[in-house]
Amino acid sequence: MLLHLEAVTKSFEGFQLHPLTLSVERGEFFSLLGPSGCGKTTVLRLIGGFETPTSGRVILNDQDITRLPPHKRNVHTVFQRYALFPHLTVAENVAFPLHLKKLPSAEIAERVKESLKLVEIEDLQDRRTHQISGGQAQRTALARALVGKPELVLLDEPLSALDPELRMKMREELKTICKKVGITFLLVTHDQEEALQLSDRIAVFKSGQCLQVGTPKTIYEDPSDTFVARFIGAVNEIPGDIQGEASSETGEIVLSSPLGMFKLKKNGHALPKQVSVILRPEKMRLLRSKSTTQENLMEGEIQDLIYLGSRTEYAVKIGQSTFKVFEQELERLKKRRLNVGDRVFLAWRGDDAIVLPQST
Amino acid sequence: MKTPSVIPSSAWIFLIWLILMTLLPFSLILGMSFLQRTDLGNIVFAFSLKNYQQLLDWIYIKVLLKTLWLAFGATISCLMIGFPVAYFLARVQGPLKSIGLILLFIPFWTNFILRIYGIVSLFGSNGLFNQLLASVGAPQASILYTRLGVYIGLVYNYLPFLVVPIYSSLEKLDPFLREAASDLGATRFQTFRKVILPNIKEGVLIGSLFVFIPMLGEYVIPDLLGGAKEAFLGKVMVEQFFILQDWPLGSAIATVLSVLLLGALWLQNRWTSKNQQPQTQELGHAI
Repeated sequence: MLLHLEAVTKSFEGFQLHPLTLSVERGEFFSLLGPSGCGKTTVLRLIGGFETPTSGRVILNDQDITRLPPHKRNVHTVFQRYALFPHLTVAENVAFPLHLKKLPSAEIAERVKESLKLVEIEDLQDRRTHQISGGQAQRTALARALVGKPELVLLDEPLSALDPELRMKMREELKTICKKVGITFLLVTHDQEEALQLSDRIAVFKSGQCLQVGTPKTIYEDPSDTFVARFIGAVNEIPGDIQGEASSETGEIVLSSPLGMFKLKKNGHALPKQVSVILRPEKMRLLRSKSTTQENLMEGEIQDLIYLGSRTEYAVKIGQSTFKVFEQELERLKKRRLNVGDRVFLAWRGDDAIVLPQST
Repeated sequence: MKTPSVIPSSAWIFLIWLILMTLLPFSLILGMSFLQRTDLGNIVFAFSLKNYQQLLDWIYIKVLLKTLWLAFGATISCLMIGFPVAYFLARVQGPLKSIGLILLFIPFWTNFILRIYGIVSLFGSNGLFNQLLASVGAPQASILYTRLGVYIGLVYNYLPFLVVPIYSSLEKLDPFLREAASDLGATRFQTFRKVILPNIKEGVLIGSLFVFIPMLGEYVIPDLLGGAKEAFLGKVMVEQFFILQDWPLGSAIATVLSVLLLGALWLQNRWTSKNQQPQTQELGHAI
């Protein structure tokens, strides 16, 4: 265990971070995910040393660093706007932390070169910071954070200032670079796709509270909270009541909802009577005609469709609610194309549904 | 750098103003510095370098050196007082900042002569300062009508002009640079020396020239606070015009002073453009 937060709280005007206990393993890529104002950046600043917790302890490598100033922590940060030093060249920016450590100049030169090579900007080394693009500035900031070989690198929304196309590309490269250097990374982001793609584990935050910590798959497939479920991807929700007890052999329970009766699988959570059933759009099948199936079926009308090449996104109106369904374009020449206004059936399996307590 | 091919119409007003109010009078002064005068002060239209030869006299060179030295010292003092003030104003937040900024700008809204008389009443023989000395039993200090008086007057009057450019260059600095430096292992002092200072040195230099240059030509402050003894370049120049009625010699002094100032500005321009080469290029593209 490299980093351990122990019941850390922080309060300032209009914000409170609820007691947070969190551990990050050595070599792990860990993300703090949540909407703006959820406290994820505060957590990063507490780890970086830019803020001091109101209570609790921050432990890095078995050493209590709660009150250590930033310059004494072996933690480097890639800032959202990069914060490159405008009076220095790219190479001088990268050399900055090494000069502070008073390393011999031959070693500095070598390590700077190595870092620039890692992020593939060797040819930019003599440029001033205002002569490079956003993506290049991003790489420079990353090289500067990595060159001192810190124990932990903090990434504060590092890709948010890039345009979407470049963001995708940098995401891939960030992943490659992180794997190569083997340093522990802690990413703060509001972009759930970014978190899913890069992280070994994710902590989801909402209004100063950590709701769930888990692998991307756990967070997506088994969210502990309706907020987490909604934040991490598109959802359809069916509110309803659980009817009776779970069947002892199959673990099946019955949901009674305004849209009908559905069969569900009981999972680990202890459930209240009133629940919210969450269905991911890709977990539902669109049937062109009613079929005899063991799955749950709902009849509706296509309200809207968006053709995206690899898949089509349908909006299906069932009763008062609209359901999102993603259908893979498996066949090149589909027998029957669907149009707005067509009657269709949605089929889904009980064990693909996420059953959660209704959020207030 | 590309020059714009068409001058925008609004720029014409400024251009005309510049020609009428600056270039024309300056040409007249320049022309006059090569003329001569009769004993009664009438101008004789005959080309001569006599005025400049006269300026090579040790008396005038001494005045020039004394003026340069005093203005230089006063600029350094302004820096020493002004830099911490600007730094404090840029760092502090909340009501203290607003109060500080108001205090900084009040002198700009106060009449110049009034401010000088403020100094007179503060340091006069019956002024607050001497009363204070008397109350602790210290001997009287004669500050007014000495070189120290001129010095205090210069520092006092020009201080805000130095604080403002330093303050604004500090404000322009990305606040995250400070955090980034500290994050990468710099102590507060190292952050200041290796990150803050290099990024604002231009503002500091420009600010210093902004006070140094007008100090050289200052007339009112040495006249009111320096008394008759203290020879200051601006004062000597004005005396040539209005007391000794030697307009050509006064013009020669004015020309020498102007050349010095232009030289200082040129040096500053060269220095900053060398340090900011890429930026000027970028600016050129933007235009």
